[in-house]
Amino acid sequence: MTFLNAALLGGLAAVAIPVLIHLFHRSRFRVVRWGAMHLLESVLRHNRRRLRLEQLILLLVRCTIPCFLALLMARPVLTGTGDLLGHRKTSTVILLDNSYSMEAGGPARSNFHLAREAAARILEALVPGSEAAVVRMAGGVSGLLDEPTFDLERLKAELMAARAGFGSAAVPEALRFAGILLGKMHLPNRDVVLLSDFQRVSWENSEALARAKAIDELLRSPLPPALTFYHAGREIRENVCVESLETSRMILGVGQKLQVRATLVNHGETDATDLRVAFRVDGVERQVSSLPFLGAGQKGQVLFTHSFDTAGSHVIEVRAEADPLQADNACLMSLPVWNRVPVLLVTGDPNPEPLRGETDFLEIALRPYTSAGADLADLIATRVVEARAFDPALLGEARVVVLANVPQLAEAPLRALEDFVREGGGLLVFPGNRINSAWYNAAFFADGRGLLPLPLASLAGTTLQDRGTHASIVSQNYEHPALELFNDPRHGRLSDAQIWLWYRLRGETSPRPGDPGLAVLARLDSGDPFLVEKRFGEGRVIQCAIPCDADWSNLPMRPFYLPLMQQLTTYLASKVFPPRNVEVGRTLVAFLPPSEAGRRAVLTDPEGKTHELKAVPRGARAVIEYAQTRQPGLYTLEVAGGERLHFVVNTDRRESDLRQLGPAEVEGVAKALGARVVRSWEEYRKRDQERRFGQEVWPFLLVLVVGFLFAEVALEQLFARRKA
Amino acid sequence: MPGITEFLTPADLERISNLQVLARTVVEGFCTGLHRSPHKGFSVEFKQHRPYVPGDEIRSLDWKVFGKTDRFYVREYEEETNLRATLLLDASGSMAYGEGPRTKLVYATRLAACLAYLMLQQQDSVGLVTFDTRLRRYIPPRARTAHLRVLIGELERTRPGGETALAKVFHDLVPRIFRRGLLIILSDCFGEVPDLLSALAHLRHAHHEIIIFQIWDRDELEFPFRTWTRFDCLEVDGRRHLVDPGHLRAAYLGALDRFRNDLKEGCSRHRIDLVPVVTDQPYAEALARYLTLRVRRV
Repeated sequence: MTFLNAALLGGLAAVAIPVLIHLFHRSRFRVVRWGAMHLLESVLRHNRRRLRLEQLILLLVRCTIPCFLALLMARPVLTGTGDLLGHRKTSTVILLDNSYSMEAGGPARSNFHLAREAAARILEALVPGSEAAVVRMAGGVSGLLDEPTFDLERLKAELMAARAGFGSAAVPEALRFAGILLGKMHLPNRDVVLLSDFQRVSWENSEALARAKAIDELLRSPLPPALTFYHAGREIRENVCVESLETSRMILGVGQKLQVRATLVNHGETDATDLRVAFRVDGVERQVSSLPFLGAGQKGQVLFTHSFDTAGSHVIEVRAEADPLQADNACLMSLPVWNRVPVLLVTGDPNPEPLRGETDFLEIALRPYTSAGADLADLIATRVVEARAFDPALLGEARVVVLANVPQLAEAPLRALEDFVREGGGLLVFPGNRINSAWYNAAFFADGRGLLPLPLASLAGTTLQDRGTHASIVSQNYEHPALELFNDPRHGRLSDAQIWLWYRLRGETSPRPGDPGLAVLARLDSGDPFLVEKRFGEGRVIQCAIPCDADWSNLPMRPFYLPLMQQLTTYLASKVFPPRNVEVGRTLVAFLPPSEAGRRAVLTDPEGKTHELKAVPRGARAVIEYAQTRQPGLYTLEVAGGERLHFVVNTDRRESDLRQLGPAEVEGVAKALGARVVRSWEEYRKRDQERRFGQEVWPFLLVLVVGFLFAEVALEQLFARRKA
Repeated sequence: MPGITEFLTPADLERISNLQVLARTVVEGFCTGLHRSPHKGFSVEFKQHRPYVPGDEIRSLDWKVFGKTDRFYVREYEEETNLRATLLLDASGSMAYGEGPRTKLVYATRLAACLAYLMLQQQDSVGLVTFDTRLRRYIPPRARTAHLRVLIGELERTRPGGETALAKVFHDLVPRIFRRGLLIILSDCFGEVPDLLSALAHLRHAHHEIIIFQIWDRDELEFPFRTWTRFDCLEVDGRRHLVDPGHLRAAYLGALDRFRNDLKEGCSRHRIDLVPVVTDQPYAEALARYLTLRVRRV
């Protein structure tokens, strides 16, 4: 027997109260000099023994009442009598591993089928009146039903409809969730059964502390559950997965050649040969490649090339025809293809003469084919506006804004520009001789809260007349995606440029602590930053220390100027916001024109089910959101007008490593967590029967207390009547 | 020497005064047909004439008046009864029960004084016996008014004493009171009922009329004790019982009922008048009961 409020057992001392009252009254008697002694003595002679017995019975009854009351408040739980009493109602939480590794073993008899079958049998074995909940451990921990239920049939029906194929199992989170569910359950006998394949990656030692903490919380509850690890399924040794896709371009235009590099990993113990790898675009198989050999534990890559004919949202998929575990045989990516990437150039120093304007070189660099009169189409479409004619309405058409020697901005355009970047836009800032550095530092930098990555300190270098000395961009191995191109000398050397005058950027030595969004992309050999990037909301800002024309440097005359500007601009434009490739559990968000507000769109999930969603107005646009992204795969949103947006929900590919913990390791983990391990239904049943169920007995005690209260009154009256 | 007023409140005395009128009416036989004195009076003093009514004895006709007036008249006399009453006052220890000065014995002595006064006023002779375990004092009946002082003096001196032994005392008393008369017993009658009834039967056998004023304290009838109580015996030192009276009350009241019923039935069997009086009752009520009984007996 255990007690939920053991401290209240101290109330048992109250058993002494009636005795003390009895003794107290006996000790404080009054003395009466009595005449009718012969009557009294005759009564005593005939009733003394009976009176003593009655007094003893009453005293016992009175002592029992506080005793039972104290026991009642201590909430005792009887163990070991459940079977005898026929009360084995339990509150059971089944944690079901539905990660995609559970699909190993074939579609008919996968590990998940076995686990689901075991869970169903556990539910069937529960005594009617028991309550249960089934929790999915992968793809965001969640219950099959919103709340624990006594309707076991309904729960079982939901269970049989459940599927695997989700991401990694989150063991600590699932245990914590089980604790929350148990808190809502009512019965004192509590079970937590964790059904899993005990995949090694899900039970790594790195999570041991978190698991132990979650178990500790679970077991510290007033009614700690019995924890059972049910090792379901067998270990499958063969698995090849498509681990990732990489594309050659940060931003893709219509007709541009795209290289897709798929990385395949053989997690099995035997070599894979002649793997057929298919490349699909929008569901249509376009190319097929073959990987002749992929050794055990090895990685291999397959390259596909494709160009899109139409702009819009596309999805690419690389699928390997490997093992029966389908979930990781394919990898998808949602890819927006642009017809044009609109870039707004705001110049603070326009000039009608060729190459004298502030943005003339930049414009040529961004759309070289048009400038050269070639037939080829440029991806980037530029539009130049003067600073004083800058209208926030223009931001709606742009993906990247370039501020070139803009003296300063008015309040409204500045706020509009901030909103533009915050919501995923790109901003490229070049200084110049016309800028109002005080405004740049005060309003544009705003103590780090503004758009400008670093404040402007002072001009550095020599006078423009004396160009004897110059600074150069430090040549290094660039890690930033915008500059990675220049790690290959064939694309030009950034250090070739001569820079005579530049703005020294304050706080330049290192990014400020606590501001992880700030990064120096390149430096001058003087030590001053040359390019600084700052994340602002969902967008990015890149600040350059020099203008984009040839006044302060010969940068525009260098061959790398064009790819550099192209890279910077496409990098800034590559940020697709809201993202189309998200992790499991993240909300899918689509921004639509404000005219779409109130209209309905249809979302098709990976299982082919359709969901009707409504666009709601938010700010200057309409927004559609969908949060139930537990299932990895392709989600297609069809908005009014027939336009389709593709979202790909990805899972962690660590799950593809199907190695499981060995029996001894599972036992070790279980022992450390205070759980028992079973490997089959029969074993579970046997252990379950061995285990004793507890039963909270306070209702019985309450009945007893009430009964004894009545008994005390009844006995009192009965004894009085008998005496009479 | 204490006067009668020491025993009776003015209200009591006033009530008694009224009762005396009734008593005198009874004794003097004015209520013709109601009763007749069982004993012939010998000290006859002419009172008045009254017209003859059928049923009057022929011998009581005044023939001289008939000779003079040719009408029947009956001669009436001041008649003196020869009632010899003896007050038997129980002064045993149990009579000492009561709250403060209002003990049963005090009540009994005052009641005895009242009765003595009342009877002497009616020209009855009154005697007094005080007793506890044994006879203490015997004052033979006298009818003189001055005798009251003797009786009251003795009552004054009476103190509660030893154990009750009514049966033995009554048996002892039979040869002492050889002339038949009225015995008025003032006692709680505690003791074994069969023994007591046997002694009373002995007294009745000696042709005594008996009226028992059974003196009760309210506590003895209702047993109102609630908290743990030690009952110390008033008659025998060392006899004591510590009990929870709440649990005992019902049984006690049962035993009390049985005791009273047994006594009542026994007295009824022997044609003894048993008058229970409670010490919180006015003395006058007890006197009224006595006079009622007297009327019935006379």
